Amino acid sequence: MRKFSAPEQQTISSFASGLSAAILLIVLMSLVLFIVLKGSAYFWPSQVFKVTTYDTPNSEVSVFVPSSVNIDEFNQALSDKLDAQFSNSALPMPLIVVEKVDAVYQISLNLGAIQYGKFQQVNTPNSERYQLAELNDVVADVAIFQNQLHDIQTNYLTVLHRKIALLNQSGVGEEAPARLKELEQFTYWQQKAEALRHKLASYNLIFIDAAGQPFDVLVKDIDHLFQPNVMSLFDKISYSGNKIIEFVSESPKQASTSGGVFPALFGTVLMVLLMAVIVAPFGAMAAIYLHEYAPNNMTTSVIRICVSNMAGVPSVVYGVFGLGFFVYTLGGSIDSLLFSDALPSPTFGTPGLFWAALTMALLTLPVVIVSTEEGLRRVPEGLRAGSYALGATKAETIWKTVLPFASPGIMTGVILAIARAAGEVAPLILVGAVKFAPSLPVDSEFPFLHLERQFMHLGVFIYDGAFHNQTNTQGSSMMFASCMLLLIIVFILNLFAIIVRNKLRDRYVRI
Amino acid sequence: MLKLFETETLSLDKLTDEQTAIKVKDFSVWLNNSLVLNKINMRIPKNKITAMIGQSGCGKSTLLSSFNRMNELNQKYAFSGEVELDGRDIYNKKENVAKLRTKVGMVFQRPNPFPMSIYENVCFGLRIQGKTERRMLDDIVETSLRNAALWDEVKGRLFDSALLLSGGQQQRLVIARALALKPEILLLDEPTSALDPLTTLHIEELINQLKKTTTVVIVTHNMQQAARVSDYSVFLHQGELIEYSDSDSLFTMPAKKQTEDYITGRYG
Amino acid sequence: MKRHLELNTHISGKFNQELENLTNSVLTMGGEVEQQLINTITAIRENNASLAERVLLNDLKINSMEVQIDDECMRIIAKRNPTASDLRLIMTVSRATTDIERIGDEICRIAKLVTKDKLPPSDIVLGGMLMIAEKVVFMMRGTFDAFARQDEKSAVAVYEQDDAIDKKHKELLKQTANEMQNDHTDMQKWFDVLWAIRSLERIGDRCKNLCEYILFLTYGKDVRHSSMKKVVKKLMK
Repeated sequence: MRKFSAPEQQTISSFASGLSAAILLIVLMSLVLFIVLKGSAYFWPSQVFKVTTYDTPNSEVSVFVPSSVNIDEFNQALSDKLDAQFSNSALPMPLIVVEKVDAVYQISLNLGAIQYGKFQQVNTPNSERYQLAELNDVVADVAIFQNQLHDIQTNYLTVLHRKIALLNQSGVGEEAPARLKELEQFTYWQQKAEALRHKLASYNLIFIDAAGQPFDVLVKDIDHLFQPNVMSLFDKISYSGNKIIEFVSESPKQASTSGGVFPALFGTVLMVLLMAVIVAPFGAMAAIYLHEYAPNNMTTSVIRICVSNMAGVPSVVYGVFGLGFFVYTLGGSIDSLLFSDALPSPTFGTPGLFWAALTMALLTLPVVIVSTEEGLRRVPEGLRAGSYALGATKAETIWKTVLPFASPGIMTGVILAIARAAGEVAPLILVGAVKFAPSLPVDSEFPFLHLERQFMHLGVFIYDGAFHNQTNTQGSSMMFASCMLLLIIVFILNLFAIIVRNKLRDRYVRI
Repeated sequence: MLKLFETETLSLDKLTDEQTAIKVKDFSVWLNNSLVLNKINMRIPKNKITAMIGQSGCGKSTLLSSFNRMNELNQKYAFSGEVELDGRDIYNKKENVAKLRTKVGMVFQRPNPFPMSIYENVCFGLRIQGKTERRMLDDIVETSLRNAALWDEVKGRLFDSALLLSGGQQQRLVIARALALKPEILLLDEPTSALDPLTTLHIEELINQLKKTTTVVIVTHNMQQAARVSDYSVFLHQGELIEYSDSDSLFTMPAKKQTEDYITGRYG
Repeated sequence: MKRHLELNTHISGKFNQELENLTNSVLTMGGEVEQQLINTITAIRENNASLAERVLLNDLKINSMEVQIDDECMRIIAKRNPTASDLRLIMTVSRATTDIERIGDEICRIAKLVTKDKLPPSDIVLGGMLMIAEKVVFMMRGTFDAFARQDEKSAVAVYEQDDAIDKKHKELLKQTANEMQNDHTDMQKWFDVLWAIRSLERIGDRCKNLCEYILFLTYGKDVRHSSMKKVVKKLMK
């Protein structure tokens, strides 16, 4: 075997290490780049192409297809796809024409669905025909009616319905005058609401689809309306901005294929913060015991090894433990002790935010313990001695000098814990994160923070999206957007913790 | 006969109890089962500076930290004999160690200010005693810093971090921190070994000022420092007290050959 | 190059005190010796045996001072590790005390002329002796002044006075020889007188030494055994 000379060895070792670092960097960059590109494509308005397929000379089928690429690339991709599909088939390859139609509108509906069509006319009940430019006036009218309808529903119909229900409960007779009066009122308001609904239904827009067939869209259902093929750059940017705001501030629509991810975002941050609040003192305390009080013997070493090994336990195991112990055993006991009147429907005996935070705290505890111990180990012996020499007891020494000095270490642990908890999915599915939660865990009702509620989590949301929406390009794009958001969240949480740590370090640690 | 130079040296053999700050009686220490100090007997005079010299591992630091029971923080520590302070054995079972340490302050080799403001560093011991009255703390901080010859340098930035001070300032701050508790005895464990020569001289001068109110016991590796700063000197060798006398005689005419060899640099 | 001596600028206040005490003690000793010489002159002039006796007794005090100052020098060297100008000061003090003590001894020898009643019978010789003694007192005073002020210029000036003393000394020796030829009844007496005259000259030499020490102290250069004129030229540049 050839022997390398010293300079060659030098070169080889520096090259090999440099190469590894470069590969790592490339992998990391491409991961971030991929997520960011795919994710941000969700916010950018896509163009719409009219695709017409001529199967036989006289039968043609046209559809509007949105795409984020330009027309040449779109054509290329389409013909590649057709080649693949028809090259081994007996059927003749259909003739396909792709064209970019400027006048086409993208109609985003309130419920999240998107339709495409050319505008034809605006219909109103007084049968005046408005142009699209006057749509705003129409929308304002519609909004007034909708408010009225809402008013009737909440202030009258709901109230009356409750009154009648009360009467039913107290066993008032069918023909009792009070009941009749309420019923009469109820019918009156119901008719009024019906009339309003009818009126609202008559405000509609007629569009023509790709095949030339007209279809109507109710004005009240329209969220926004624009022409994707003729947008200026400024329009596109403002569209993207709106979409980003919508993404982070609204609930998901259309089975998580459009709308926003606010509940998931909120749930993630809340769960992580709750977990940090639980794990930081708990982990720090455990580390202090191990490092300061525990005798330096076999038992302590065994405990240390166990703590390190805890970090390697698969997270789903923690999830199962959380479900079995926290949710069923602990939660069940709490229910039978404190919420027995609500049984058999469980309060704490079901997966929820608190159990999720607790499970994640358990999962990240080893990280915090290890890094806190590392921080404690870095406390100079002289500092402790100085404190003792001034008449401080052990507890005072730990509390006043050792702990502040070790606080950057604790923060490092918390940073690592946050990064881990924000990205974890498997245990969360078991102990409280759900695909769709009807309400946020924080609201204006006492006690404001509802620890027993289930919550949405970005990781779970992405996981769900990746599984169930593989066919829908738009939906998977939203999944990427959520990924990007999750990255940003982890990044921001980490950044925050790093800033705090550096502040502490500047304050407490010798430069 | 005319005396040109005033010298006052107490005879160490005839020290009265009033003149004694610490009385050590047959004191032996074992660390990790090996004998570190062997039956030390000595009286340390009050309001004087006593230096301990000797090779590394001769037990001088152990003896020093026996005076405020800091050596108990080591694991595997055993002792016999007595150390008396004000006629009371500090190793008795009822002794309040925390209180003892407020009366017997200690400064270490490396400056170890706490990572807090200068003001809070000086207040540390007082706050532990539960003293929080602001005016009183202010007074004590100022007096202590003045006594430690640091006040003029830091008075404008009392609330800055103590870690921003230079090494010599930090060591003086640590002394001020000990002085804030008004200790009767101040133990200095090689207080200048991490400092440059000029700063060392400043600290020595400070120690010299301190002896008006405080008994100072200083351990040093630097024989010249012991000679410069101390009134009395102890030479320890392998856990034994070889010679204890006033520094003038010890450094000009040592009584024992071992001492002579050590201070003249003839030791193997 | 002249280095100005600053004795009281050490960080250690105690050291300052010690050095100041040391220089003061040398000056005290010098003053004492000066007084001894003046007393001796008075005793010779008045033929006052009791005063001369006191001078002899007082010499013990000067001897004790030498021992004390030497002890203190040793103590300071041991405890303070003096360097540079401090070290030169202490060496100077140590040497100077030896010379001053010797001066004291020489004075005793002169004083013994009175106690043993061996004053020269000739007025010319006695007058010459007294004249030289006055000059020596003047020189000694100048020396201690120069030491107190560490003033090398006056030290050089004092140094040069010794030439005059030497000249007078030679003249006096000639005169004494003449007188001895005229009166050789008591040769023993003449020998004592000759010794005393030589002692006076020796005192002048010792003062010269002291001046050399002052130059050593202020310039850090040992000027002993070298031609003074060259040295002074070099130094005064």
